[in-house]
Amino acid sequence: MTGSLWRVVGTGFSAFAVLVLIFLVLPTLVIVPLSFSSATFLSFPPPGWSLQWYEGFANSLDYRIAILNSIKIGIPAALLATIFGTLAALALVRGNVAGRRALSALMIAPLILPQIVLAIGLFPIMVKLGIVGSYPAILLGHAVLCLPLVFITVAASLKSYAPSIELAAMTLGANPWNTFRFVTFPMIRVGVVVGFIFSFTFSFDELILAIFLTSPATRTVPRLLWEHLNYQMTPVIAAATVVLLVLTLSLLVVAALVNRSSASGRVRGANEGAT
Amino acid sequence: MIKRTGAVVEFSEVTKRYGALTVLKPTTLTISAGEFFAIIGPSGSGKSTLLGITAGFVELSGGEIRVDGTDLSSVPPYHRNLGMVFQNYALFPHMTVAENIAFPLRMRRLGKAEIQSRVERVLDMVRLHGLGGRRPAELSGGQQQRVALARAAVYDPLLLLMDEPLGALDKNLREEMQEEIKSFQHQLGCTVIYVTHDQHEAAFMADRIAIMRQGQLEQIGTPRDLYERPSTAFVASFLGEATLLPVTAIAAGNGQGDLQVRLDGGVMVRASGQKAAASSDVHLCVRPETIRIAPLVEGLDNIFAATLEDRVYTTGSVRYRVRLHAAPHLLTVRVPTYPGIVLLEPGQQVMVGWNASDALLVTGS
Repeated sequence: MTGSLWRVVGTGFSAFAVLVLIFLVLPTLVIVPLSFSSATFLSFPPPGWSLQWYEGFANSLDYRIAILNSIKIGIPAALLATIFGTLAALALVRGNVAGRRALSALMIAPLILPQIVLAIGLFPIMVKLGIVGSYPAILLGHAVLCLPLVFITVAASLKSYAPSIELAAMTLGANPWNTFRFVTFPMIRVGVVVGFIFSFTFSFDELILAIFLTSPATRTVPRLLWEHLNYQMTPVIAAATVVLLVLTLSLLVVAALVNRSSASGRVRGANEGAT
Repeated sequence: MIKRTGAVVEFSEVTKRYGALTVLKPTTLTISAGEFFAIIGPSGSGKSTLLGITAGFVELSGGEIRVDGTDLSSVPPYHRNLGMVFQNYALFPHMTVAENIAFPLRMRRLGKAEIQSRVERVLDMVRLHGLGGRRPAELSGGQQQRVALARAAVYDPLLLLMDEPLGALDKNLREEMQEEIKSFQHQLGCTVIYVTHDQHEAAFMADRIAIMRQGQLEQIGTPRDLYERPSTAFVASFLGEATLLPVTAIAAGNGQGDLQVRLDGGVMVRASGQKAAASSDVHLCVRPETIRIAPLVEGLDNIFAATLEDRVYTTGSVRYRVRLHAAPHLLTVRVPTYPGIVLLEPGQQVMVGWNASDALLVTGS
C-alpha cells in the first residue's frame, strides 16, 4: 500500500521536475522559430518561414563589428581572469594565507553581487581614468566578473588531490616553478581550461557592464541586440540571438567534454592520492 | 666499489612552535650512518613534525639539523637531496610509472640514456620489471608503494624518509613489504628515518626506535632496550603489553639491583630497577609473557594465589587475566598455545609467579 503511494508521489515529483525544465528552457527556445519567420516583425507563431533574417544578420556591418568586438573583449578578459583566478586559487587553497576563508568569499563576490552594482561603481572610476568606451574599460570590467568563475573551477581541481603530491615533487628536486609546471599545472589544467571557456562565454553574453562601459565603437553583440530591441523589432534580432545561443551552448558543451574526458582518465588516480 | 653507508643526521635543540603552541620541544638526537631509525608515538606526538622539519616542509622555530655535517636549516626541500616516501604514495597520477621514477632524474638534468638505464635498473630492484608504461592508478597498493620507493631512491639519496609508508596496506602485504624495505635499504646503503604508529613494525624493522610523546622524545634505544628496560610507564605500555601496578613503598632487597616493593593494598613484591622514592608516578611493570602459572611457578621470586577472571584465545597465545587474592590487582598473563593445550577456565583458582628481574620499576605517568 505505502509502496504504491510512494510510487505515485515519485512520479509526481518527476513530472514536476520535467515541467520546471520545460519552463526554464522553453522561453529561450521560442526565439528559434521566430528567427525563421517570414514576417517583418516579432510575432508568435510566425505566419510563414524564411531565411531572410539570417541573410540580414550576415550582411549587417553592425553585427560584424559587434561580433569582432565581443571576441576582442572576451578573449583578453577571459585570459586575464584565468591568470589571476588561477593565482588566487593557488594562494588561497595551497598557500598559507591568513584569513583565507574571508578572502575566498571575497573572490566569489563579483559573481553574487548584482552586476549593476559593479557597473555603477566602475563607471565613475573609468570616467576619472578617461577610458570609458575604450576596450580596456570593458575588458577589465569583464575580467573582474569572470575571475570568480576561474577561481571556483581551479580551486575545485586543487581540492581534488592531496597536496602531498606537490611536497613529493619538491623532495624529488623540483623547485617551485618546476613543481607548478610538471605537477600542479597538469593536475589543474582541466579546471583552468573550463574556467577560461566559462569566462569567455560569460563575457560574450554580458549586457549590463557593456551598456555602461562600451561606446558605439566598442559595443558588443548583447549591447547591439539591446539597442535594436529599443528601435527596431525585426527578426534579425532573433537570428542574431540564435547565433549567440548556438555559440554559447557549443562552448559549454566543449567545456563539459573537456571535463569528462579528463575525469575518466584521472579521477581514479586522484582518489588514490587522497586516501 | 666502496659500500655506501648513508648520511649521519644530527638534530640539535630542534624546536617547532605555532604561536603559543609548542608541537616539538627542543629535541637533540643523532642518527648514525646507515641506521634504520624508527620514530613511533601516538597522533600529535610530534613525530611527523620532526620528519617534516627534516624534509624541509616545516620551518624550524629553533635549533639546527645537520646531515653529514651540513646545516640544512636554510636549504629548501628541493636542494636537500633526500628521498621521501609518503603514506598515500603521492605518485603523479598523470605520469606513467617510468615517468614518475624518471622525474627526479629529469630535475637533475641527467641525459636521456642515463635516465632510461637507471629507471630500468631500479624497476628491477623493486620487482616491477615491464610495468614502466602503466599509470599508477592501474597498479595495486603494494605495487604503488614500490614505485614510490623506487622514485625516492633512484637518485641514490644518502637519507630516506618514510612517513607511515605501509599504513594503507593490509596486514600480509605489510609484512612482506617490511622485509622488502629492509633489504632495499641494505642494497641502497642509506640511512632511513621511518615514522609509524605501529610498534610491531618499528620493532621488526628498526635498529633503534625513538618513542615520542607530547612533542618530546620519551626514550630512545634498540627494540630490545625499550621492551626490556622501558624507562617510563608510557614506554612500557606503548611498546608491547604491560601490567602496571601502583607502588606505595620501595626498599633495597638482598641481591644487587634487587628491590623490595610494596604494592597498593600491602602486598610485598621482589623487583628490579632503579630505586626511587615511591609516588603516584612510580609503577611496577610486568610483561604478560613473563608471568607463569602453576605448576610452572616453583622457585620463582614472587608467587601469589589468584583467581582467573577471563580468557581470550588468540592466534599463537592465550591471554588470561587473573586477580590476586592478597590485593585486588588484575594481572595480564600470556601463554603460548599448542595443539592439545588444556585451557584454564574462568573462576578457577591458580598460582601465578614471576621473577624479580622481570618486574621492573618504571616512573612517569
